[in-house]
Amino acid sequence: MIKVENLSKKYGDLVVLKNISTEIKKGEVVSIIGPSGTGKSTFLRCLNLLDQPSGGSIFIDGENILDKRIDVSKIRQKMNMVFQSFNLFSHLSVLENLTLGPIKLKGISKEAAENKSMDLLRLVGLAEKAENYPDELSGGQKQRVAIARCLAMEPEIILFDEPTSALDPTMVSEVLSVIRRLAKEGMTMAIVTHEMAFARDVSNRVFYMDQGLIYEEGSPKQIFDAPKKERTKVFINRIRNFVSKIKTQDFDFYALNGEIEGFCEKQLISKLIRANLLRVVEELLILYKPYLNKIELELEIAHSEKTNQLSLICQTKGKKFNPLDNKDLEDDIGIKIIHKFTEVVEFKWADNQNRLELLFVN
Amino acid sequence: MIKIFLLIFYFLLSFQANANEAMKPIANLEDLKNKKIGVMLGSTHDAFAHKQYPEAEILQYKSPADVLLGVKSGKVDVGIYNSVSLTEILKLNPDLGVIDKPFEFSPVGFGFNKKDIELHAQFNAFFKAIKESGVYADMIERWTKKGITDMPKIDTPNKNGLLVAGHISDGGLPFVTLRNNENIGLNIELAKRFAAYLGKDIRFDDMEFGALIPSLNTGKIDFIAVTLMFTEERKQKINFGEPYYEIGMSAFALKKNIAAFKQEKKNNSNTPTFIEELVNNFQNNLIQEKRYLLLWDGLKTTIIISILATIFGTFLGGIVCFLRMSKNRFLNIPAKVYISILRGTPVLVILMIIFYVVFASVNINPIIVATIAFGMNCGAYAAEIFRSGIEGIEKGQMEAGIAMGFNKIKTFIYIILPQTIRRILPIYKGEIITLVKMTSIVGYIAVQDLTKASDIIRSRTFDAFFPLILIAILYFLISLILIQTLDYLEKITDPKYKRKVRTKS
Repeated sequence: MIKVENLSKKYGDLVVLKNISTEIKKGEVVSIIGPSGTGKSTFLRCLNLLDQPSGGSIFIDGENILDKRIDVSKIRQKMNMVFQSFNLFSHLSVLENLTLGPIKLKGISKEAAENKSMDLLRLVGLAEKAENYPDELSGGQKQRVAIARCLAMEPEIILFDEPTSALDPTMVSEVLSVIRRLAKEGMTMAIVTHEMAFARDVSNRVFYMDQGLIYEEGSPKQIFDAPKKERTKVFINRIRNFVSKIKTQDFDFYALNGEIEGFCEKQLISKLIRANLLRVVEELLILYKPYLNKIELELEIAHSEKTNQLSLICQTKGKKFNPLDNKDLEDDIGIKIIHKFTEVVEFKWADNQNRLELLFVN
Repeated sequence: MIKIFLLIFYFLLSFQANANEAMKPIANLEDLKNKKIGVMLGSTHDAFAHKQYPEAEILQYKSPADVLLGVKSGKVDVGIYNSVSLTEILKLNPDLGVIDKPFEFSPVGFGFNKKDIELHAQFNAFFKAIKESGVYADMIERWTKKGITDMPKIDTPNKNGLLVAGHISDGGLPFVTLRNNENIGLNIELAKRFAAYLGKDIRFDDMEFGALIPSLNTGKIDFIAVTLMFTEERKQKINFGEPYYEIGMSAFALKKNIAAFKQEKKNNSNTPTFIEELVNNFQNNLIQEKRYLLLWDGLKTTIIISILATIFGTFLGGIVCFLRMSKNRFLNIPAKVYISILRGTPVLVILMIIFYVVFASVNINPIIVATIAFGMNCGAYAAEIFRSGIEGIEKGQMEAGIAMGFNKIKTFIYIILPQTIRRILPIYKGEIITLVKMTSIVGYIAVQDLTKASDIIRSRTFDAFFPLILIAILYFLISLILIQTLDYLEKITDPKYKRKVRTKS
């Protein structure tokens, strides 16, 4: 359906895409993953010529759309796009957002377009919002409307450009489940995403993009469980972490709590584990507090997306000091709590560096 | 707050009182040498005052009525004007008096373009004819001796085209004045007879005195139908027709400032009440001589110019905005230059340049000139308003339209434009209201708009307060109606308003 040959894109001297060649077949769901700034979105935007490629050719149903004689607007009607920032038309109601294209571009009667659009809104669960305006919807609702708006044009393929990146973590799943449903119904889709778990179970094929090219491609199983190439391995097994340095006794405890919660939400860590993590952090900080004017504490929370392992690392410099081993405490309730919520506790002292690592029960 | 106002008020009052106190009675023309003298800009009085009284402070006014009002309100101590008209004017203004006797007598005549020798010759032939037939003597008899102020019927067959005469409508009887919205006077009769002699129709363009000679020389008018005094300076610029009268100048002032009238007792025993005065003013300024017709015509002109200029300006603004936003340098640089020039020059100057320079030799309706000038000015501002509106819309809106399959133009029409309109309306509203108020300067190019109408009434009734307040109210009402209309437009373009209407019905 889409065939790309030697596609390249340059911004001045900066090469964003290097000779990409690939093919997307009808009914396929292709996920495009990879680090930021490696040209994933640019690749997608080149497919419908929102960004003009610098070289190569793109065939849609056998027609080269880079040919000057081709009416690109007509081709674009076959392949609609869902944007990271939704881009709903703010002057139109939800229903009008859906009917504008069919009425003005396809010449469908207003009534027919409205009936069809109401069906689509039901499909994405937003029929009751038909008369509302975009600024009255939540992020997740907006993105679902945007998907319905795409579908209203009856495209043969939908391009998703990071559809959940601008959403609150709580709203990600409602959008993903709509996309899942489309995948089940056999819609051809190309999805740029950072949601690994989602990419893994929704797609037939995964492109791992790095440094402007499709570095490795294969089935989700191949890419996620047995990546062959070096950089893919690093990316798939990478660990996301959160670091905070505490230098005084008067640090902003609530801001720190908020940041940790944000990190947990982003990593889709369950509520229970998040609560445990916060409790342990609080107890640890109470233990460290009397010494904080003299020493600097580095707090690190690390999460591996692949193994879903969560660990908390506390580091201080100076002579050997393990807060869990402190004999001067009035009671040991804090220490008991910490032990209750963590699986493994490891303490090391080397090169004047104290390192306390706690692994959470999963 | 109120205290501050009172303080300012008191200060102003005391200031005026001081000015009056410093005044010593004027006995003769010698006493003018260190006074404030009001004259009409570009008149022989102006030249005379500057030559004769180098130490005096000379204020140049744009019309005879302004000179008169200047004297009446104490802005100047003395005014100088032609002695014949002054006699008539003083009959209506008992608080003014003439100082000494008329002086500097000079013949007066119409003015002709130096290049238009034919018309000049025709006038002289015509004048010779009416002198011989006794028509001229009859005219002088009626207007200046008997004081009969009815215009005789003069047939002006429109066979050989149109003759455009420049004049000042508030010159004062017996030469010219405006009554029942119609020009009358010796000048008018003479000019009309001349047109009839040529078999032409005649149109009188009302101008400021200073604009008469430039207008003649740029071809805006065919001749000057004003009692022009013969001077050497003027003879270098224009040809004078045969002199038809001889007039001098008189200096005048408030009677209380003139030594000769000092002894006269005031008999202001029955000052009218406020209500009486208001009714009186209303009578004087509106009803008498059907002056409301003047205002009505002025109002229409103001509204027509405003509407046409708004339409033209919006249209032009759209084009300039398009050019300005173009990536092509050959398109966007001219647009930038246009915007900065139009925003950086007073609209009055632009108006005069278009009238006297650009369309110098074209006989064009001044209303069209006004529309072009105000439209050009409005267009420059509108272009920037449009641009900020369009640029304020996220790029994503355009991209979503394009990605859906709309071409650029359709995306603009269906997606960008409706959002832009909603965004810019509040600012645009202000721009249009500014435009309406700006039109008050079209009097400069001989258009009779609302402001000019009030000027004319002022020149007849010598009352500054009533006509000015009246047009202030009229302008305010125009703006108010405009604001209401645009507010409504703003409301109905609000998408949520549409829904409200839908759910109600």
